[in-house]
Amino acid sequence: MTGDHRPGLAERQAELVAALVAGGTPPAGFAPGPLAAARAALLRKRAGEVARHWPLLAAGLGTAWPTTFVRWASGRPTSGSLRDGWDLARTMRERGTLPPAGAEELAVREAGLRYDGRATPRPRRLPAVARAGGAVAVQIAGRVRLLRPARRPPAPPGGVGGDLPDAAGSAPWISD
Amino acid sequence: MTGPSGIGIGWRPEIAGFVAELPGLRFVEVVAESVPASGPLPSGLAQLRDRAVTVVPHGVRLSLGGAEPVDPARVAHLAAVAQRVDAPLVSEHIAFVRAGGLEAGHLLPLPRSREAVDAVCANVARAQAELPVPIALEPIAALVDWPDDELDEADFLTEILDRTGALLLLDVANVYANARNRGTDPLALLDRLPLDRVGYAHVAGGAEHGGYYHDTHTDPIPPAVLDLVGALCARHRPPALLLERDGDYPPAAELRAELDALATAAGLPAVT
Repeated sequence: MTGDHRPGLAERQAELVAALVAGGTPPAGFAPGPLAAARAALLRKRAGEVARHWPLLAAGLGTAWPTTFVRWASGRPTSGSLRDGWDLARTMRERGTLPPAGAEELAVREAGLRYDGRATPRPRRLPAVARAGGAVAVQIAGRVRLLRPARRPPAPPGGVGGDLPDAAGSAPWISD
Repeated sequence: MTGPSGIGIGWRPEIAGFVAELPGLRFVEVVAESVPASGPLPSGLAQLRDRAVTVVPHGVRLSLGGAEPVDPARVAHLAAVAQRVDAPLVSEHIAFVRAGGLEAGHLLPLPRSREAVDAVCANVARAQAELPVPIALEPIAALVDWPDDELDEADFLTEILDRTGALLLLDVANVYANARNRGTDPLALLDRLPLDRVGYAHVAGGAEHGGYYHDTHTDPIPPAVLDLVGALCARHRPPALLLERDGDYPPAAELRAELDALATAAGLPAVT
């Protein structure tokens, strides 16, 4: 833009965003410490926002949620909170690491909405069945019902509280 | 349609019940992007409007500080929400949230350069042309500082306010966070800002992580931020001060105590 080939504001802003969310090379002149702090802060904010869209997934992971999300999201620009959580849940389904509450949430979402992994999820027009981690959800005429809950690990023998119901996963109806 | 006054709170669906029961509340803020442009208003918000509580739409995704022109559809949405809630003003940030086709996911600081002042003033003018009410601009908490800075914070903000005629939404917690992270004096900044232009003020909690103070909105308000509220109000009390809480909501009694502490620090009546 300028005579000394110094990049203009648009280019500098794009470099900064890429460095913060997409693993891009930091733009010249920025101190690395604050950049790292900003990168971490953005990921923490994002983890909170995705947890609001995927409350059962986040609750199912409990204290492991922030680190699980941040590890997945680091260097991966956001596609919006709904899709971020969806993509993470699908990845965890493939790996068999989805917690039961998250599996039920994913099954319910997938029964109600069509998501191709690239564009904004859209309501399904036809009846659908979706599965995740043993959970089965069906959608008929826009109403989604969890038919079968996800597999839960057996209660630890003699473990205190091992037989407590999982409140987060117990709701049979979730309207999306 | 009266301007914001007294102690307010950021309306969020998670605390709608709590907010609805604050007897003295006259003012809330709502995240503009969370309100639909048509169809029913969120019910808690509609009830507050029925009580003639002032609702100020607060945009977080306009990216007024982006080098590219602000998205007309986003401005139109903000304008529509302002009309729906009969807002006396709207607010947004002196920040950018996307560039080069990537979303940052949160507010990022501008370089305090002439080029950035020009960019943000052009975008504010584009927004003002479409908005039915005045806009207040909020300086953000910045963890990174650009190497391109030509102006100090007070000159940068004052120039933007002078050129746009916008009101100032002064976030006391952001002033505290920036001063603490940069090792500067927050009172020195207050002394140089046009405090008579403050439409209202934000106050929020934060915490230290990894050697930096983060304006989290999910922690209690630190005593030092309440002290800064007192210092601000001793210089020039804003017409309204609003508590922002965006997660990890505490029990109602704690949130009430925070609102009371804010009212006490500001010398305003309690709303609880």
